[in-house]
Amino acid sequence: MFAYIVRRVIATIPVVAIVALFIFSLLYFAPGDPAAIIAGDQATPADVERIRASLGLDRPFVVRFVEWSWQVMQGNLGVSIFTNLPVSKMIAQRIEPSLSLMLLTLTFAISVAVPLGVLAAWKHGTWIDRVVMMFAVFFFSVPVFVVGYLLAYTFALQLDWFPVQGYTPFSISDPLPWLRNLVLPAAALGGAFVALIARITRATMLEVLSQDYIRTARAKGVSQRPILFMHALKNAAVPIVTIIGIGFAGLIGGAVVTESVFAIPGVGRLVVDAILRRDYPIIQGVVLMLSFTYVLVNLCVDLLYTLFDPRIRY
Amino acid sequence: MSSTLLDPAVAAELPDVLPARKQRGRVAMFAYRHPSIFAGGLLVSLVVASALFAPWLGTADPTALAPAKRLRSPSEIYWFGTDMLGRDIYSRVLYGTRVSLQVGVMVALFASVIGMFIGLTSGFIRVLDTVVMRVMDGLMSIPGILLAIALMALTRGSVGNVIIAITITEIPRVARLVRGVVLSLREQPYVEAAVAAGTRVPKIIWKHILPNTLAPITVQATFICASAMITEATLSFIGAGTPPTIPSWGNIMAEGRALWQVKPFIVLFPAIFLSITVLSINLLGDGLRDALDPRMAKKI
Repeated sequence: MFAYIVRRVIATIPVVAIVALFIFSLLYFAPGDPAAIIAGDQATPADVERIRASLGLDRPFVVRFVEWSWQVMQGNLGVSIFTNLPVSKMIAQRIEPSLSLMLLTLTFAISVAVPLGVLAAWKHGTWIDRVVMMFAVFFFSVPVFVVGYLLAYTFALQLDWFPVQGYTPFSISDPLPWLRNLVLPAAALGGAFVALIARITRATMLEVLSQDYIRTARAKGVSQRPILFMHALKNAAVPIVTIIGIGFAGLIGGAVVTESVFAIPGVGRLVVDAILRRDYPIIQGVVLMLSFTYVLVNLCVDLLYTLFDPRIRY
Repeated sequence: MSSTLLDPAVAAELPDVLPARKQRGRVAMFAYRHPSIFAGGLLVSLVVASALFAPWLGTADPTALAPAKRLRSPSEIYWFGTDMLGRDIYSRVLYGTRVSLQVGVMVALFASVIGMFIGLTSGFIRVLDTVVMRVMDGLMSIPGILLAIALMALTRGSVGNVIIAITITEIPRVARLVRGVVLSLREQPYVEAAVAAGTRVPKIIWKHILPNTLAPITVQATFICASAMITEATLSFIGAGTPPTIPSWGNIMAEGRALWQVKPFIVLFPAIFLSITVLSINLLGDGLRDALDPRMAKKI
């Protein structure tokens, strides 16, 4: 198992390198010449050239990429054009709301979707199954921000159960305001994720439930619930965990939009504001950080396989 | 006893034990057999028709400003109301259908063709396979919307650039799908037979591999079309998509954002159109998958 873990960790290195190369190229090819901006309107071409050399912008692509990678590994993501603050610091200030939103959504989505999928598989072919699947298709088709507005309009504006927008930082003494602010965003963001997980859970469960050992368990008189949750779900775990990992990309992308809808001051808002100002270092830094998060999540998923399915030994 | 049975004169007429077989028309038969394709296809054709015939469906100029009539609620004159610049939302939504469909169809087309090319190359030329697939893995490791945002940040907002940006995010999925199909087909006896018979590689690809990739690609293309429309709306919604001068669904919603608490209909109508369109395309895709690839249908 140790060899598997090592191999799996090593296998992520080229992926991370390609992600980094791609995102570096984005800034490299970004319009606008930083040297010309720093030099100002009065500068002669020679001045611009000198500033470019002093910034190291005249060196070849590969050299600059290696240097930039080295800086990134030390946690230096450059400086925002607009605020002149280090990008890593700006991200760090905004990380808590985003992390709260994603963790809450993840918890909510998994705890709703897996039972739904199991239920649909158990009641396969009945109206329950059909309702669950229709619900899944529906949430696949409605964009996150539309769900967000519908929820906010109904439960915040009309019924006044939750605050419409905003965020309260988490505190252990009183986590209720934090939770109240995040319920609607998490529900909106979780919709598509629930649909995805429920669909895969149902499909995998159907496959597992048709296997011989399930019939054996039934024959020896094991009751329905242990069969579903002990025998079947445990063996259906690997595809479910895989789809949770893959679906995490949608969760990250959706969080960016959800934060805009509910005015949550997270990383997503940071990048949306940066787009409007064309603040390339921030866009680059956030995309890089979130992509690495995604790679890391999927690495963890792969390592979890060994926990769920001891047969996996590569 | 047996003689009476054999005698045609005595044989009693068989009673109608079975109910008469329902005679269905061709359309009804198709709808009965493939309900998702039928419902999805019908809705998609409605949406396409409303995009094509937008000028004749009681619309006004979607960009005509009328500040005196701004923020009117839905009424007989303004079916979906007017926005903060007095533009007729019904007209904007109908014309927006054109933008969304254009983005969806173009992205599906380009991503399928390019992805198919990459997948075929990668599946057949083993030297390239590792490199190409690592690059695809890398691209897929950047969450789709973020990649599109980053690409859009590099260029001016235009429909063409939105199509290119979303296509780039969708290519790896098609490439992986096609490569998977190619790898499994290469092991098939009939392909091995073709190789043994000395068939050239281009002909094997053209005659034996390509036709078998078309079904899964068609299914994938419908899903890509649906997801591209959502991505376009999302990009425009956060201000990184089509330029605000173009009435796309995402733009209408972006304009309604500031006022959604008081004038929710500005966001609501394009949202309904977008959701119904995407839903019908997804239905169509689900139905196509069930019809074209029963094995895949069982799995998911």
